[in-house]
Amino acid sequence: MELLFRLIQAMSVFLVIAYLYCKSPWFRPLTTHSLRTRDRIYLYFFFSAVSILGTYLGIAIQDAIANTRAIGPVLAGIIGGPLLGTAVGLTGGLHRYSLGGFTAFSCGLSTTVEGMIGGLVHLYLKRTNKTDLVFDPKVAFTTTFFAEMIQMAIILIVSRPYLDALALVKVIAIPMILSSSLGTALFVSIGRDQKNMYERVAAISSAKAFKIAERTLNFLGSGINQKTAVDLAKIIHEETGVGAVAITDRDKVMAFIGHGSDHHTPGSSIVSSLTKAAIAENKVIFADGERERYICPLSATCPLNSVLVVPLHIDNDVIGTIKLYEPRNKQFLNMNKMLGEGITNLLSNQLLLSRYERQKNLLVQTELKLLQAQVNPHFLFNSLNTIISITRNNAMRARELLIHLSNFFRKNLKRGNDLSTLEEELDQVNSYLQIEKARFDDRLVIQMDIDPALLKLKIPTFTLQPLIENAIKHGISNMLGQGIAKISAYRNDGHALIEIEDNAGAFREADAGDGLGIKIVDKRIKALFGKDFGTAVYSVPDELTRVTIKIPLEGHVQ
Amino acid sequence: MRALIVDDEIHSRDELEALLLETGEFTILGKCSNALEALQAMKRERPDALFLDVQMPVINGFELLGMIDESLMPNVVFVTAYDEYALKAFEENTLDYLLKPVEKGRLAKTVRKLRRALNAGEKPVYSSQDIKKIPCVLSSRIKLISTAEVDYVRSNEAGVYVVCPTGEYFTDLTLKVLENKTNLVRCHKQYLVNIDRIDEIILHENMLAEIKTKSGRTIPVSRRHLKELRGKWNF
Repeated sequence: MELLFRLIQAMSVFLVIAYLYCKSPWFRPLTTHSLRTRDRIYLYFFFSAVSILGTYLGIAIQDAIANTRAIGPVLAGIIGGPLLGTAVGLTGGLHRYSLGGFTAFSCGLSTTVEGMIGGLVHLYLKRTNKTDLVFDPKVAFTTTFFAEMIQMAIILIVSRPYLDALALVKVIAIPMILSSSLGTALFVSIGRDQKNMYERVAAISSAKAFKIAERTLNFLGSGINQKTAVDLAKIIHEETGVGAVAITDRDKVMAFIGHGSDHHTPGSSIVSSLTKAAIAENKVIFADGERERYICPLSATCPLNSVLVVPLHIDNDVIGTIKLYEPRNKQFLNMNKMLGEGITNLLSNQLLLSRYERQKNLLVQTELKLLQAQVNPHFLFNSLNTIISITRNNAMRARELLIHLSNFFRKNLKRGNDLSTLEEELDQVNSYLQIEKARFDDRLVIQMDIDPALLKLKIPTFTLQPLIENAIKHGISNMLGQGIAKISAYRNDGHALIEIEDNAGAFREADAGDGLGIKIVDKRIKALFGKDFGTAVYSVPDELTRVTIKIPLEGHVQ
Repeated sequence: MRALIVDDEIHSRDELEALLLETGEFTILGKCSNALEALQAMKRERPDALFLDVQMPVINGFELLGMIDESLMPNVVFVTAYDEYALKAFEENTLDYLLKPVEKGRLAKTVRKLRRALNAGEKPVYSSQDIKKIPCVLSSRIKLISTAEVDYVRSNEAGVYVVCPTGEYFTDLTLKVLENKTNLVRCHKQYLVNIDRIDEIILHENMLAEIKTKSGRTIPVSRRHLKELRGKWNF
């Protein structure tokens, strides 16, 4: 009984070692699933040392040593496989052998065998896909229990005189088996806890990062302004739990949330030299509060002591910073440092993306405005001149045309929306064509063939008008003979096709880039419906030009 | 005054006709809807004044101005809906220009100008651009032939014909206009030739010669013009 206690006492030393080991950086590789050669070499030396220490901490009995030497080889085997287990066992065994005594050989041999047994368990767990049981205390206990029984058997079989061996085993068997098994189990248990903690921390930081990303990405569409800065700072403050969060532009504080918000006021100029440096050099600056302190330039009683300053940039231009602070009584966690940097980079990318998107939209909008504006003066002049002339002989006709003209311009003004129905588009086009028909008289013939089911089809506003105008302005108005403009809309193969055709055949590929508006129409359709849709031009010089617009049908036809 | 109106839009023609008649100063000889009709009408009617729209299909007002034979040149008033053409019209040195819609007061001024010019009795001369494409009449349409494609141009009692590798086409332009406004060169009283399309010049006795064009056609060279050709070519 006393022997058991003394062995447990010796074993306790290992628990201290195990605890320290698990806190050390050498433990980290064990938390991943693959061990590199270098890791195995570290493990070999560590567990060999544990094994040899087990021998030294043993208790001499009858020219033999009651010990906890088995813990090293068995653990090495379970964790690192048969090769590592056997190597550690052999090392511990040879060491024991060198110490002499009538059980020198049997103990040396059995230690090697125990390492092998650990290794076999490792192999078994691997084959049956239960590698997560490597750090299971029950497995460790059972394996050591069994291995120690084998050791006892080897002592009985190999050691001579047999009677001495039997007497020895009677005394040491129970204490050694129990203390070694218990030691291995506890060792593994400490390791498992540490491993779980690592995983939990990793899981928590990933979850936090995703949550912040999810909450912040949505409202950055319009870039960073006073309001989004405050929202952003609140979110980062809530999610990371740091003492305070600030967002600055290049010159002043835009938002400040948390400790010290009484004197760090939004709108005030940047005074911190750390922030100025971060902006000037476009680099992350970290004052951990120990080696380097954050000293508040505003207030002597400011509780903040450590700070992380991460520049927010678009391309290479720093547009501001995001700052995370911790107060004096709190350590700046590495996790928060990584989170801060990660989120800022994410936001920088997002800002770049949204700027790009905004510019793209702006460009299309501008082009569209230009297109709308370009048309009207000449069209207006021509229409008025036609109507002035018609007024002489046919006041009613002139009145009709004025109503069409009014309708055309009202529609042109009113349509701020992105999408219109085909019906709305045709309404405007009809007003336009009525006026042109009056102007060109029998030089212009209009043919319409519209599938009524498509009237509610949604298409980008101002899709038809520029194309019809092309047909008239650049096509038919330059013809000496009779011009025919055809507009048709029909369904084909699951999508809608709208065709605008003239018999002038004046389209030239080279002109299409500037001013004709086909490209803008195409761009807008592709932006809305994807690259499978858009415009296609078919032209036979001096015979016909046909622009075909392809629009998706699903969900749009009522 | 005997006036001709040229505009591609029917309502513009009608409106201008009404305005001109209101002044009581004009006889309207005709209303033409394109340049070719205008060339024919001018040959036929020999107007004193031409009211010419700038924006017209195929051949615009400025181009038409360059196609009018000097001997037939009337006083030209440009009519345009767009301000931007006004400056150009002055460059072309026309008598006057009117903006659509035409105001009565402004038109009265134009009438005074016309009256003065006609009383002075001088033949108007306008600088105008060269002809790049020659309008030719086919049965139902108009063909524009680039001057570079032309082999030669010939004239007879029936009219003027443009000859190019693809065939012969009738045109309303006169030899005189084509000689002045294109790079075609006179080689005979009734022929203009495109120097770039000459294959060889065959010299005969008594100072006569023939030109063989690249498409294998032969045209005569008169004594008088051979000299000029020699001067130009140094042979």
